[in-house]
Amino acid sequence: MVYISSWDEFAERSIQLFRADPQSTRYVTKYRHCDGKLVLKVTDDRECLKFKTDQAQDAKKMEKLNNIFFALMARGPDADITEVSGKEQTEAQPSRKGRGRKQ
Amino acid sequence: MVLLQPDPFLSELTNMYERSTEKGSVWVTFKRSSMKSKVARNKMESKGEAIEFRCLIRATDGKKTISTSVSAKDHQRFQASYATVLKAHMHALKKRERKDKRKAADGDKKQESVKKPSSKKASL
Repeated sequence: MVYISSWDEFAERSIQLFRADPQSTRYVTKYRHCDGKLVLKVTDDRECLKFKTDQAQDAKKMEKLNNIFFALMARGPDADITEVSGKEQTEAQPSRKGRGRKQ
Repeated sequence: MVLLQPDPFLSELTNMYERSTEKGSVWVTFKRSSMKSKVARNKMESKGEAIEFRCLIRATDGKKTISTSVSAKDHQRFQASYATVLKAHMHALKKRERKDKRKAADGDKKQESVKKPSSKKASL
C-alpha cells in the first residue's frame, strides 16, 4: 500500500470513501510513541487510503478529521460537516494575546 | 472485547497510551455501526423499522481491546474529551522546523554533504 503524501488529498478521498459505503468503511488511527509516528488509515476492505506523519502540526489536522468522522458516523453520511471543521479554530487560539508584551 | 461507557473507555485509553510510551503502538478505530447482528438488522429492515446507527470506537494496544459507542446525541461531548486525551499523549511528534532559527548543530544531519561551510554559516 502506498501512502498518500498530501493531507488534503487524503482527507478528501477518505470522506468520499466513507460516503460511498458508510457501513463498511472504518477509520483507524495508529500512534507509536517510541518512534513518534502517526499513521491514519481509511478502508472499506476494497480500497485502502493511508497517511503517515511524524509532525505535530499534522496531529491538529487529524483532530479535525476525527471530528468529521465522528459527525459522519454518529449522525449519518449526510451530516453537515462544514460546521465541524470550522469549530476548532475558536478553541485553538485563546492565548495569543499576551505574546508581544511579555518579551 | 469489552464494551465500555464513554468515560471509562477514555480513562482506559489514557492508560493504554501511558503504557505504550517505551514500546508498542495504540490503534483506535472508528466505525459506523448499528451494534446489531446482520440477522437482526435484516429482520428490522424487512419489517421496515428504522435502524439506529452509532459510532463504534475500538482501541487496542495489541494485548487488550476495549470499545465504546456514541450516539448522534452525545458524540460532540465525546469527541472533545477524546481530542484532549490525544493532545495529552501525542507529544512525541516533531514540532515544525524553523530553519531560520536553527543553529548549525541542529542542521548537521541534513547537511552532511556540505559539512565544510557549516562553520562559515554559523558566523554569518
